[in-house]
Amino acid sequence: MTMANKKLAEFFAYSVELESEAMERYEELADVMALHHNDQVAQFFVRMAQEVTHHLAKVSDLAKDMELPELKAWEFNWPEAESPETASYEALHYRMSLRQAMILALENERAAESYYRQVANSSDDAQTVRIAGQFADEELSHAAELECMLQELPQNGANLREEDDEPHMPE
Amino acid sequence: MTDVIKLKAKDYKSGIKPIWCPGCGHFSVFNAITKAMAALAISKDDTVMVSGIGCSSRLPAYVDSYGFHGVHGRGLAIAQGLKVARPDLTVLAMGGDGDGFSIGGNHFIHACRRNVNITYIAMDNEVYGMTKGQASPTTAMDWDHSKLTPHGPGVRPFKPAALALASGAPWIARAYSGNPNQMAKLIAEAIEFEGFSFLHVMSQCITFCPEQTDWKAIVHEREEPALVDADEAAKLFLHEDGFQIGLLYSEQRATWPPTAVGAVTEGAVAQLSASFRV
Repeated sequence: MTMANKKLAEFFAYSVELESEAMERYEELADVMALHHNDQVAQFFVRMAQEVTHHLAKVSDLAKDMELPELKAWEFNWPEAESPETASYEALHYRMSLRQAMILALENERAAESYYRQVANSSDDAQTVRIAGQFADEELSHAAELECMLQELPQNGANLREEDDEPHMPE
Repeated sequence: MTDVIKLKAKDYKSGIKPIWCPGCGHFSVFNAITKAMAALAISKDDTVMVSGIGCSSRLPAYVDSYGFHGVHGRGLAIAQGLKVARPDLTVLAMGGDGDGFSIGGNHFIHACRRNVNITYIAMDNEVYGMTKGQASPTTAMDWDHSKLTPHGPGVRPFKPAALALASGAPWIARAYSGNPNQMAKLIAEAIEFEGFSFLHVMSQCITFCPEQTDWKAIVHEREEPALVDADEAAKLFLHEDGFQIGLLYSEQRATWPPTAVGAVTEGAVAQLSASFRV
C-alpha cells in the first residue's frame, strides 16, 4: 500500500466510524424516545438515523476495495471525547422538544462538517483532500436543511415539554 | 461458533431495547462494555454479566452473553461464586451506587479483600433512580432534591475509591459516562487484569440529578501513570476532587482461591479422614 493509499484508508476508517457511531446513537435515541412516548422527537431521530445510514453506505461503498486499518474504539483520535457527529447524552432529556432535538442534530452536523473540513485543509494527500471536502460539503448541506426545518417550526419549544407527571417521588 | 468471525460492538448487543431515560449515563456504560468485548474479541459463550437491582442492574439483559439479574446488593457474591466454580469464564459484575455501596456494601468490601479475578463496574449516579430519586451512599450532604431528605442527607458521602483501596482492591479506576471510548479502554484493561478490578463510573442521572450535566466540564483525565503504592493511593483518594478519570491504582497480588500447590494423591482423602478418627 502506498503512503497516499494508507492515508486515504485511514481517513475512510475514521469516516466509517464517525458515521456508524452517529447512526447507532440516533437509532438508540429514536428507540428510547419512543419508549418514553416522545413520538415527535423519536420520529425525528429515526429520520436522522436514516440520513446517516445513507451517508455511511456511501462512505462504505467508496472504501469497499481498500483494506481499512482496524482501530479499537479508543484508538480514534477525535477532537472531543466522542466522534463528531454523535449526539451527546448530556444534551438529552425524555421531555425534550422537537426544536431542542433539531438544534442538537444541527450541532452534530456542524461538528461533522468541521471535522471533515479540517481533514481537507490539513491532509497532504490529494485524494483525501478531495473526498474529505466532498463529505464536508454534504454535512454542510444537511446542516442547511436542518436550519430550514428549524425556521419552519413554531417559535415555542425552546424548553423542555411540560407534563403533569414530574419525575419526583410521591409525597 | 461466535468466535470465528470478528464481531463488532453492536454484535454484542442482545437486541432488547434499554428502558433507561434518554440521557442516562448507563447507555454509555453499555456501549463501552460492548466496545471492550469487541476489542478483546471475547467469546459471548464464555462471558457472564451479573448484577443486583436498580436501573444499572438491568444491563445484563442488554448484552448478548450469559447473564444473571440477581438480588439487591448480591451481584458480587454471585459473581465471585461463579468465577470460583468456573475460572474459565470472564465474569463482570455490575450495579449502581445504592446496590454496591449500601445494600451490597459488605459484599463490596469483602470482594475487594478477597481478590477473585472478576471485574466490578459500579455505575454511580449518586441517587436511587428506580424508586424515583432518593439519596444514596454517594449523594452530597446538601443535596436537597428529594422530599425524603429536604435539607440533604446530612451525612458525608462514601468515597468509593478510598473504600476499595482500604478494603484491599488491587486495581482501581474511574471513568465518566461522557467519555465512553476511554471507558471502553478501561473496561478492556479491567477484564485483562488478573484479580479484582474495580471500575467506578460517574454515570449521570439526567432525570433526578440534572445538575450532573456539569460533570462534563469538571472531569479531568489523569496524566500520570497509575499509582502502585497503596500509601500514595490512600493520600490521593482521600484528598482528590473525585473527578479524576483513568487508571488510578494498580498492584499485582495473589488472587483467591489460591492455586493448588500439588496434586492430590490417591488415598490422600482417606488418609486424612483416618487421622481424625478417635
